[in-house]
Amino acid sequence: MLPENITAIIARNERWSGDAASEPYEAGWAREAVFFIRALKQPIGASPRGWVEISPDGMHWMREGTEFDMPAEVDGLTSARVQHFGNWLRVVTQFAQGAECTVLITLHLKA
Amino acid sequence: MASSTPSQMADMTESLRIALLRADPALSRFDPLPRILSFDDFSRGHCGWSQLVGNYEDTLDAMLPGYAQHSSAMISTLGHWDAGSHGGMDSSYALKIATRPKPGAQNVAIKRHTFRKRGPIRFEIYFTFKPEASELKLSETDVRSVGFLFDLQGGDRDSDSERVMPHLRFLNAENGKFLQKWQYKRETTEIKPLGTDDKTVSHYHLAPEGWLDLPDGEQKLCYNEIPTKVNWSYLRFDFDLEKMQATGMQCNDRTFDVSGFEPIRIPAMKNLWCMLNFCLFAETDVAKRAFLYVDSICISGDF
Repeated sequence: MLPENITAIIARNERWSGDAASEPYEAGWAREAVFFIRALKQPIGASPRGWVEISPDGMHWMREGTEFDMPAEVDGLTSARVQHFGNWLRVVTQFAQGAECTVLITLHLKA
Repeated sequence: MASSTPSQMADMTESLRIALLRADPALSRFDPLPRILSFDDFSRGHCGWSQLVGNYEDTLDAMLPGYAQHSSAMISTLGHWDAGSHGGMDSSYALKIATRPKPGAQNVAIKRHTFRKRGPIRFEIYFTFKPEASELKLSETDVRSVGFLFDLQGGDRDSDSERVMPHLRFLNAENGKFLQKWQYKRETTEIKPLGTDDKTVSHYHLAPEGWLDLPDGEQKLCYNEIPTKVNWSYLRFDFDLEKMQATGMQCNDRTFDVSGFEPIRIPAMKNLWCMLNFCLFAETDVAKRAFLYVDSICISGDF
């Protein structure tokens, strides 16, 4: 039997500013995960760093260690690859005052 | 030995079919019609339950806000902070549909088929629901509703083709009031054109307005005693694709009279012939995520 894999859309056309995070996603069945973050519109202001977070319960979060640059131009694409993440995953970033990015965030999971 | 009559043969065939179903640990808890269209236990992935994405043209900004909030369903072991993984009925996994933490937020998962005969169909699920366990409180009124809908349309040569959308929800609570009753709806929102090519329209059929009480539809389900204890409930809904009418409904030990049930009916749309879609949804009443978990689903028909 082929191993399971799934593409999940976890944020679509969301205008991110200030403290921003994707909704928690459960992926305990998967051995590996790749996030892609695409800017659907021209970002405003400086593009901050983003990072992956893991959680024991979907409510309390800590940094997993993987970081990435948020996309700096429209259709700019960035990614983050993680393994050994337990069950819950999300991506987080923090924009400076006045900065924003409209994102499409997809999560690609493989058993 | 006298040969069997056609009626006796049919009885024997049906008895054999029931015996085979009863002896199958995966299907024994269901009462499917003669043909099983799909059986999903979520130990084999999402089984085709994807995100209900809204319509758009030219830009995603055209998507109605009700759809824009939707996100992908998950495969979950119902892992709880205090008790660990709850698991499903027959495997570790269940489908999880989660809302955002905002009062009135909804999320919808969909499975898309078409039909080959307009006849009886049966939708059976084992489900449960809970709010996110972010407080050490019972939280029994935090989930507003969970429910399902079908999205149907007759064939392109049928003279009576309409788009028909039976909706049913368990209204658990609203504005903090514990209500625990089944509701249906007959009306959607205004059908709005999208874009400039006259090819795409949209309407939000899960808008909060227009829900009606199912007669004698009050039912107390097993919620259990803290937010991290859950129990699976059985739900069956029968619908006749020929007459486009509901024919039966059961939840756990209760059967409900659906003679007054009416689906949403709107004019047929130009690209949806023989559509047979199934949706599951969750809705939160408070600024806390609501979770609908589905252990297994059996969709069957007589065709």
